[in-house]
Amino acid sequence: MRAVHYLNQFFAGLGGEEAAGTEPTRVDGPVGPGKGLAAALEGIEIVATIACGDDYFSEHEEAALERLFELIDRDGPDLLVAGPAFGSGRYGYACARVAAEATKRGIPGLAAMHEENPGVATAAGKVVIVPTAVNVAGMRDALPRIATLATALASGRELGPPEEEGYLPRGFRRNRHHGATGAERAVDLLLAKLAGETRSEVGGAFDRVEPPARVGDLPHALIALVTEAGCVPQGNPDRLPSVRAQAWLRYSLVGEKRLEAGDYESVHGGFDVARANEDPNRLVPLDTVNGLVDEGRIGRLHEFFYTTTGNGTPVATSTEFGREIARELRDAGVEAVLLSGT
Amino acid sequence: MAWEVCTFGPDVLEPDVGRIEDLARAEAALAGVHVAVVEPGEPVRVTHVLDAVEPRIRPDGRMAFPIEDRAGEGVTNRISDVAVLSCLDFPGEERPLHEQESIVDLAGPAADLTPFGSMRNFILAFRPGDGAGHRAIDSAVRRVTLRAAEVLAEPTLSAEPAHTHVFALGPADDSLPSVAALVQLSDLGQLYQLYLYGTPAGECGLPKPVDPAEVMDGAVTAGEYHWAAMRNPTLFFQLSSLVRTLYREHGKRLRFAGVVLMRGYEQSADDKQRAADAAAQVAVGLGVDGVVITTDAGGNSHTDTMLTCRACEHAGVKTAVIVCEETDLEATAPILTDWVSEADCIVSTGNVEQLAPAWKPERVLGGEHLLDGTPAAEAGPIPVRNYLGAANQMGQLDLGATSW
Amino acid sequence: MLAKEIEREGIPTVFVTSLPTISTMIGVNRTLRGPAITHPFGLDEEERRQIVERALEMLETDVEPTTVWEVAS
Repeated sequence: MRAVHYLNQFFAGLGGEEAAGTEPTRVDGPVGPGKGLAAALEGIEIVATIACGDDYFSEHEEAALERLFELIDRDGPDLLVAGPAFGSGRYGYACARVAAEATKRGIPGLAAMHEENPGVATAAGKVVIVPTAVNVAGMRDALPRIATLATALASGRELGPPEEEGYLPRGFRRNRHHGATGAERAVDLLLAKLAGETRSEVGGAFDRVEPPARVGDLPHALIALVTEAGCVPQGNPDRLPSVRAQAWLRYSLVGEKRLEAGDYESVHGGFDVARANEDPNRLVPLDTVNGLVDEGRIGRLHEFFYTTTGNGTPVATSTEFGREIARELRDAGVEAVLLSGT
Repeated sequence: MAWEVCTFGPDVLEPDVGRIEDLARAEAALAGVHVAVVEPGEPVRVTHVLDAVEPRIRPDGRMAFPIEDRAGEGVTNRISDVAVLSCLDFPGEERPLHEQESIVDLAGPAADLTPFGSMRNFILAFRPGDGAGHRAIDSAVRRVTLRAAEVLAEPTLSAEPAHTHVFALGPADDSLPSVAALVQLSDLGQLYQLYLYGTPAGECGLPKPVDPAEVMDGAVTAGEYHWAAMRNPTLFFQLSSLVRTLYREHGKRLRFAGVVLMRGYEQSADDKQRAADAAAQVAVGLGVDGVVITTDAGGNSHTDTMLTCRACEHAGVKTAVIVCEETDLEATAPILTDWVSEADCIVSTGNVEQLAPAWKPERVLGGEHLLDGTPAAEAGPIPVRNYLGAANQMGQLDLGATSW
Repeated sequence: MLAKEIEREGIPTVFVTSLPTISTMIGVNRTLRGPAITHPFGLDEEERRQIVERALEMLETDVEPTTVWEVAS
């Protein structure tokens, strides 16, 4: 197995702060901490060391990455190891970016740094990171642990839990058997909370979008109707699944004043659709909106309505649907959307 | 009130398959049942599993799964390490049943996702009657399965138990925190509901407090067939880890104040809020310091859980909430179906999106093909969501999702 | 997730749902609480008109992130 090792100017022996503007460069074999790492690696050879000044990387990230990967590709490595960067923010950032880019290009990337290094957040699940001490005094301790992870990663096997394998959690949610049942854990957590120590097995949150500014002139605006409630033409001609939808659909509203019962139905698998099927306008309020267009309260109605089912669809999938629908709406000049869910 | 449980080992069984077949034959909505006995760890995959029940019988002749008599008092005999698994492929295209496969592997890499791999299983593979409706078929299957669990336990009536245990709540030190379990029973109509004394959960005047022993003594039975991993089969109530843990800790680390049953799948925002507030008020009425809140099934029943959590916290009752995760394998933060900021103490019973590695069983029972048409023996990796009770949200099992 | 992605394109979107806690959890900015899962836009035309007009009002208002409105103000 062949590995390439990434270092900054300091650890590559090119100089201190005065050399932080150094452009990407390549040296045969291991250098500096790479020598200790090479000694700890079994069956993996460090064929080259690439280095870049911390300032150069942060100021010319795209150019730096492009040049670094020209150098890396020459050696066709099976693995890229970056750092250890300890507590150094700029170096940690570069290690995370270089290792993430390697992973993206199909070369498993491994970085090492202190758990509070900003590079950890930069890596955001894309890179396996070995935790180290905050400063270089932790080098001797870090190298054998980096070597162990490097061997595991290069073998191509799926990594086990972080505390067993010795890496920082990337955030992926994987199952394990705790030994204690969920009920036993719940009672323990509740008693701890009653004693003043609140802990949870689930943390984290969804990202946020800045709310777009209000619609300034609704009586002249183009608005669109979208639903996650699985409203489709009667008989579901395009076979929209009732759960875990893998598609979104759009149907023309040209000439339709309201959604007639018998012409439209809901195929949503997460609620009793009887009431919606009696009157599909209860899901997609076409009758009311057309009335408001006639009254001049709304400018115009977009010629299609968009539909999918929200239940059980993986977040990544429904996010992708959202993006695709959003692009269509944007290109059609839609200025506001009425979206119905369950 | 005291409830005595006499435990017998599987050796007491004298299975009479003919009697179980007769039970099915007596049902107009069923064409019959195929009964198979599978020993622990046999390389078998069971498909279309609806429910799991532990064999139980009462020596005094009352029903083990009572409809009129009260459960949780007197004596009940049980046979440990044995399960009756009912299996059925509902005919037609009832949504979303035909997409929500329910599997139990008794060996292989997914055997530890359910407790059945280490048990002796009576697989009842039912055949629906021609032209019978889903509801009639389901009612018949549940009736026969519960009755079969009683029939199997009959030999205990003339045997000596391996051990007996009395569930009773004695006095406990006032300085210990008072804790109740808020146990959610879903009701989204037949095929998607649990039963209390044979009555759908939504028609039982929930929320209301019950004696914890009732929960374990057959008062609650299952008939909820959404995503398999999020189901709470009857056996999980009979052997409730939550109720047993609270009994065990009573007088040691806490005072067990009881179980409050509440409904999942209230169908309007107002009803959800009202039910959540009512559950919190029942908890306040019990004078508890904290509650463990459980969840049944997936989708908007999670909203009932979260609103109940919020209502309790606002009423001064601390909460721990049990839910599973539905986190995409590439996502780097946990994804819950619902969440409120008051839910700061959550137990994760697993990520249902994770795949169990492919495994080729030597035998398939319940139905040769999965509901999506795939041959069950050649199915490739199967998501945890399709394994019966694997990520159940009463905390019956030890699975949980952690950050990797 | 649709509402969030459409708003990411800069198009104000009102999500009418009877489960606003889910909506705010995932980060939807303009949520209007509908009367029921089975009929988010109400049972009859009068009720629907009230809900739609309230939704339009929300589209014409600058909001803080994850705002939830009720139909009756």
